[in-house]
Amino acid sequence: MSVRIARNVAVLAATMAVSMAVMSSSWAADLSLSGKKIGVAVVGTQHFWDREAFNGALDRVKELGGEVVPVDGGRDNQVHADNHDILLNNKVDAVISILGDGAVEPKFEALRAAGIPVFTVDHLSPHGINNTTSDNYYMGTTIGRYMADAIGGKGKVAIFNAFEGALRICGIRAGLWKYVMQDYPGIEIMQPELAEEFANAPEDARKKTLDLLNQNPKGTIDAIHVGCWDQPAIGIVQALEEAGRTEIKVTALDGGPETLEIMAEENSPFVANVAQQPRKIGSTAATNVARHFAGETLLPQTFVDVKPVNGPEEAKAVYKELGYGELD
Amino acid sequence: MSGEASSMSAPRGWIQRSAGMWLGTLPLMIFVALLLYLSIASANFLTLSTLDLILRQAIPTVIVCLGLSVVVMAGGDDVVSGGIDLSVPATAVLAAAIIADQISLHETALAIALLLAMAGALAVGIVNAFLVVWVGMTPLLATLATSVAVVGIVKVITASRRINVDHAAIVWLRDGVFAGVSVGVLITFVLFIFYFWTVHRTRWGMNLQAVGGSRDAAEVSGISPKRYISQSFLVAAFAGGLAAMFILARGSGFTPGTEENLLLEMVLATFLGAAFSPRRVVTLWGAVLGAVLVSALSLGFKSIGVNVFWTGCIKGALILVVVASASLSGRVRS
Repeated sequence: MSVRIARNVAVLAATMAVSMAVMSSSWAADLSLSGKKIGVAVVGTQHFWDREAFNGALDRVKELGGEVVPVDGGRDNQVHADNHDILLNNKVDAVISILGDGAVEPKFEALRAAGIPVFTVDHLSPHGINNTTSDNYYMGTTIGRYMADAIGGKGKVAIFNAFEGALRICGIRAGLWKYVMQDYPGIEIMQPELAEEFANAPEDARKKTLDLLNQNPKGTIDAIHVGCWDQPAIGIVQALEEAGRTEIKVTALDGGPETLEIMAEENSPFVANVAQQPRKIGSTAATNVARHFAGETLLPQTFVDVKPVNGPEEAKAVYKELGYGELD
Repeated sequence: MSGEASSMSAPRGWIQRSAGMWLGTLPLMIFVALLLYLSIASANFLTLSTLDLILRQAIPTVIVCLGLSVVVMAGGDDVVSGGIDLSVPATAVLAAAIIADQISLHETALAIALLLAMAGALAVGIVNAFLVVWVGMTPLLATLATSVAVVGIVKVITASRRINVDHAAIVWLRDGVFAGVSVGVLITFVLFIFYFWTVHRTRWGMNLQAVGGSRDAAEVSGISPKRYISQSFLVAAFAGGLAAMFILARGSGFTPGTEENLLLEMVLATFLGAAFSPRRVVTLWGAVLGAVLVSALSLGFKSIGVNVFWTGCIKGALILVVVASASLSGRVRS
């Protein structure tokens, strides 16, 4: 009896496995954007992350046989929002929108009203079909733990946090970092928080860090954290080196090649990061568009793996793993 | 002798004039050819909805261009020593920041927020007038300095953060349609008519232009250049204050960093506009046309899917060709 049940279960399991394999392979085979015009809007192409996500989406749309209408906001959120009007006017079949602040929401609403599905990247919107993003929850808590460890669980920390209230992804990352900090009563978050600029972030952060160092003599700051990304960290490290204050630890998020290189340097103050896979995020968003057109129901969010980076050795390893080359 | 000389120079003068005229229409012809190309390459470029979109996207630039044009007309169009006001976009962004901060974060009534914003904008105009007319700084430097300072104030007000605005009036400016045309476009058209009428149909406007034409001549005929030049900065600041509402409408709130692109487009459109005017001078209608054409070009390139890494380059090259052909035709004719 039990043998028969076991055999039936085994047969059933095998049948399910085979049918699932067939289904998934048929999905892969059916995925196509042929004959479709896909608008891809990105807020800017100056930064590695944005450019990679953008190129990832473009390449994948083309690979799936779709036609691309690319638009670049030139790192200006208003221009980025306006670009969605152009895509609407062009009657594209779907829009992939990468980053952007609240200015894009009414544009998404208009696109949806016109029957054009919107797929977002790193921008959770009630008007989107699906948002492809990194696991921001994991990023926020992991960088919190790493930073606390780097300063021995106590000390004063300054945070660059311009976007916590403006972008949901930053709200998650900075919010969960603060959540972790609650368990370290010895760590004090310096007030007021610093606000970095969106455009020219490295240079802006460099100046603001030099000011911060002037106001807070040696021994009164233990770490500087960037709440949502790591372009400002480039300028922060530069300022610390200029001022000879490299005892201050720097932590940030994104982990593109240029910041991993800084982390891999000997005695780098830049000690921890969580690396994303922007190209994969962009291409996954494009794949999701094809899945949507194939009639599949998508979950509200698709999460792409991240790679925690703690210290120079891990920076080198992740640099290699993500295909950026070799670092000695 | 003199008869011979004049008969010799007549055909040469004619050739020169017609070459100049031909070169003079070149800027406009380049744009027409380009727009034709764009309408062939992109099926729905030549539609009313595209035209409406071009005009809507040009609104903030058009309004700040009106302000800049008045300053150039009063100060003369030498870029270094003449009239220029680089602080109009920063002024507009300051007013936008004040409105957004007041109505979204302090629950101030819109009318009061608008008054505060306009007061802030006019204060910038007064500082510019003081620096240029009384301190004697060159307008280029003075307004560049105030622009930097004003952007600094904006950062203090907003802490470099985005402020969402969903006030019904702002949403109406963004989405409202009257008789098939966006209300933003209609209001901007009315503003243009108002500025045009003030500059070309009133005594004040005539005097302002006289000052711009020749300060000495104006002074001789009893017009005070100082008065008109300082007033031109106030008129420009007023335009900045007006543009604020449309900046907020466009972005559904205040977004940091808007002034840079606006500054670039304002200067570009205003001086591109001069290339279209027969005398190569900055005019109100030229500036507006320039702003609309820049907007049309951006939209056209985006519509036909030009590689984004090339758009800036192509746009820049085109504008260079237009401005260069304008100054060439001017030289040939003189």
